[in-house]
Amino acid sequence: MAEATPVQIFHMEEKRRQYRSGGFFLKVGLLALFVLVPFLFPSFKTVDLAMQIIMFATLVASFDILLGYTGILSFGHGMFFGIGAYCVAFLVGKYGTPSYANLALGFVIAALVASVLAIVISFLSLRVKAIFFAMITLAIAELAIVLATKLSGFTGGEDGISLNMPGILAVSFSAGNFLGLEITGRILTYYFILLACLGLFLAMLRFTHSPLGRVLQAIRDNVERAEALGYKTFIFQAISITFGCVVAALVGGLYGMWVGYVNPESCLGVLSIMLAILLMCIIGGMGTLYGGIVGAAFFMITETFLPDLQHLAKDFFPSAVFLHNVLERWHLVLGVLFILVVIFFPKGIIGSVREFIDRRK
Amino acid sequence: MEETIFKRWSRELTIAGAIVLFLLPLIGIPGKTYITLTIAGLAMGMLLFLVASGVSIIFGLMDVLNFAHGALFAWGAYVGFTVFGYLMKWVEADSVLQNFAAFSLAIVAAMVVVALVGIVLERVIVRRVYGSHLFQILITFGATIVLVELIRVFWGPNDEVMTVPLTFSRNWDIMDVIINRYRVICIVVGLVVYGVIQLILKKTKLGMIVRAGVEDRDMVQAMGHNIFLLFTGVFAAGAALAALGGLAMSIFSLQVYPDMGGSFLLFAFIVVIIGGLGSITGSLVGALIVGLTYNYVAYLVPWAAAGANIMIMIIILLIRPTGLFSVGK
Amino acid sequence: MSEPILKVEDVHAFIGKHHILQGVTFDAKADAVTVLIGRNGAGKSTVIRTVMGLIPSSKGKIVYKGSEIHKKKPYEIARMGIGFVPENMGIFAGLTVEENMRVAMLVEDEATTQRLERALDMFADLRKFWKGKAGNLSGGQKQMLAIARAIVNDTALLLIDEPSKGLAPIIVDAVIEAINQIKDHSVVVLVEQNFYMASSVGDYFYIMDDGMVVLSGVMEALVRDEELKSKYLGISKSGD
Repeated sequence: MAEATPVQIFHMEEKRRQYRSGGFFLKVGLLALFVLVPFLFPSFKTVDLAMQIIMFATLVASFDILLGYTGILSFGHGMFFGIGAYCVAFLVGKYGTPSYANLALGFVIAALVASVLAIVISFLSLRVKAIFFAMITLAIAELAIVLATKLSGFTGGEDGISLNMPGILAVSFSAGNFLGLEITGRILTYYFILLACLGLFLAMLRFTHSPLGRVLQAIRDNVERAEALGYKTFIFQAISITFGCVVAALVGGLYGMWVGYVNPESCLGVLSIMLAILLMCIIGGMGTLYGGIVGAAFFMITETFLPDLQHLAKDFFPSAVFLHNVLERWHLVLGVLFILVVIFFPKGIIGSVREFIDRRK
Repeated sequence: MEETIFKRWSRELTIAGAIVLFLLPLIGIPGKTYITLTIAGLAMGMLLFLVASGVSIIFGLMDVLNFAHGALFAWGAYVGFTVFGYLMKWVEADSVLQNFAAFSLAIVAAMVVVALVGIVLERVIVRRVYGSHLFQILITFGATIVLVELIRVFWGPNDEVMTVPLTFSRNWDIMDVIINRYRVICIVVGLVVYGVIQLILKKTKLGMIVRAGVEDRDMVQAMGHNIFLLFTGVFAAGAALAALGGLAMSIFSLQVYPDMGGSFLLFAFIVVIIGGLGSITGSLVGALIVGLTYNYVAYLVPWAAAGANIMIMIIILLIRPTGLFSVGK
Repeated sequence: MSEPILKVEDVHAFIGKHHILQGVTFDAKADAVTVLIGRNGAGKSTVIRTVMGLIPSSKGKIVYKGSEIHKKKPYEIARMGIGFVPENMGIFAGLTVEENMRVAMLVEDEATTQRLERALDMFADLRKFWKGKAGNLSGGQKQMLAIARAIVNDTALLLIDEPSKGLAPIIVDAVIEAINQIKDHSVVVLVEQNFYMASSVGDYFYIMDDGMVVLSGVMEALVRDEELKSKYLGISKSGD
């Protein structure tokens, strides 16, 4: 048996640390929490909230593959999400009957369309300058909304498309009670999506820890040097972008399954979906993947409970006018927070917490 | 042989090609409508130019891609809206003079207020992220969120109707061709702005320093010019132009709404990609191409209007990735 | 001998993560030409750019005419009377020769106009192409324009980075003559790899290697000492 190379030793060390650290238990605990949510809090609102957090965390992680790991900002990530949602909706809603085969086909088509489009956009913009990617994706994303709205014969226009799930995933399905919870199609869909998102998340973790992922980080940190080392940066960036966009499309398909309805505003909107992704990613912490979970949880929980918070604040602190104003103008607060995070904590919540822990050691 | 001919006449060939291309829609459009559409396209192009030129020169000099330009555009429209509100008597008066007075005051107010916003933006936020494109885009996008929310705070979240100064809204009827006066005003304003910018850049020492800075910032600094002051000034000027564009556009489209900057910023990006980042003439040409194409296509194939410009952008990117008038760095 | 006009003391500088200058110390004596010599990548250009404030120094002191300048911004340093001719000449190619000169002129008063006339007398070609695009000039003419821009203000110290780079030998001679004229008016610090040029204009030399000064002295001594030359500069008797 040959001796381990330094690189192998480094990897083994890293693995060992991974399983011993508090972070590992935190991750397992978090997963367990998501598994148990339907049993612990069976109300529609909390299950929906947990589901949204799971899906957006995965979506933000796929955005982070581009932003944090490749150093490329895309304003089209929401569009890829929407493409996925529409592809699934076409297959099981508008142009097909709800069946398992159609559902699977919808996801396959979503992945194909997303990868072709991602490669085309990469080819158009990366050849010139990475900043072109931001401008061109913004333009194409707007075009997608216009097309989805105007070509109403094909896409259902502003009314959107409703979709029904096949077999055991259908809303009407029920498999009886289990531990006091009625196992409906919704609950099964919840677990299906949770499992799918977990799979996508692990795939992304694997991707970023692969040799390819390390090359990408080298490119992000110093393009010239990576090029001098002989890496075709364009190819690597394009692969990474395509991967991230395909994941986004798949999450979009899952989103369509859960919500049961797609329309341009909710699935493609630059100002709705894209803004949320960006805020979650930056506030949570880019370049970590896990930042997406923190960002999505922060964003979704505040969005969901904001009206309650506003009522609470008025009931309990009737004289705290400043607090009322802050809660009234929540997006303004988020915007300011976003700028402050970019300036002072460019690594976001996760990165800053990690740094803090490292420093205390 | 052929190559040399193409090279020698490349300029003339380009112009001839462009003329043919823009006469081509005549096949599908009746002559009178064509003229009306062309004027509408030129007017829209000039408004686009006002926004795009700011994006372009800020990028050229400072290497900053300002995603907040759309929000500054919206701010300009809202400040103008407020001024029109105070001067409603003049706006609604049937007098060219009073209309122009209100229009001019609104322009001045919009440009001054938004230039100040631009100065704050540059000093407080943008200055911290010079050198990193990614963070510039992120931070100016963050500024967009804040600026748009501030519009909702100050002016309310709803769409508002913008009043057109009475005499501007009328038409001229020249040999049965209907020409809207306000569109002509937009064209004139755009041309005047283009002329003034060119005059400043070409004839004044400040303009020379700006042009030198676009080429080599370090060298301009090493010659004893305070480049940061220059940055602030150019950023403020770009913001003022965006405000002028926003005000003019809101009168054009008869409304103001908080998110109005978003779609227009998009057009501005298409314009600067076509024209070449950093070039003022490129912005003008790109803006006119986009404005005319939009109007012709919107008449011929309504649903394809938004896509046509993106197609042009893609074609330009394939042929000349740095745009029609690229500035050497 | 009077105080040196420029004193660089133990200056460190980074470019990105790379520690380029690792404690550079040298000074430029008044009424003399100081030459920094050394192979590619030794950090010569970085020294000049650090003095100019274009690269921040992480440690050490730079003193010009008795005041510390290492925390000042490039434009402040330039306004204290330091002229700069960068490695690639820094010509504004899209501007005319006239515009290049006008951007360089901090004030357009009588004295500056006189200095402009002096520079144009020195480089007659510039007058010839006065209204032409600077980008269309030949390499030698561009170098002359770059030097002319640096001496049009009241500069007490002139930093010139590799003026011989990429120029034909006959033009190098013209540049040498120009620098010999300039040194009557201002102190010159020259970065040069071309030993012929360095020895033709230099009074004092500093040899740099790996971000440090490894040897310094009077130029005449270096010219005579074949052993030193071959050790540090790789110049043998027969070569060059």
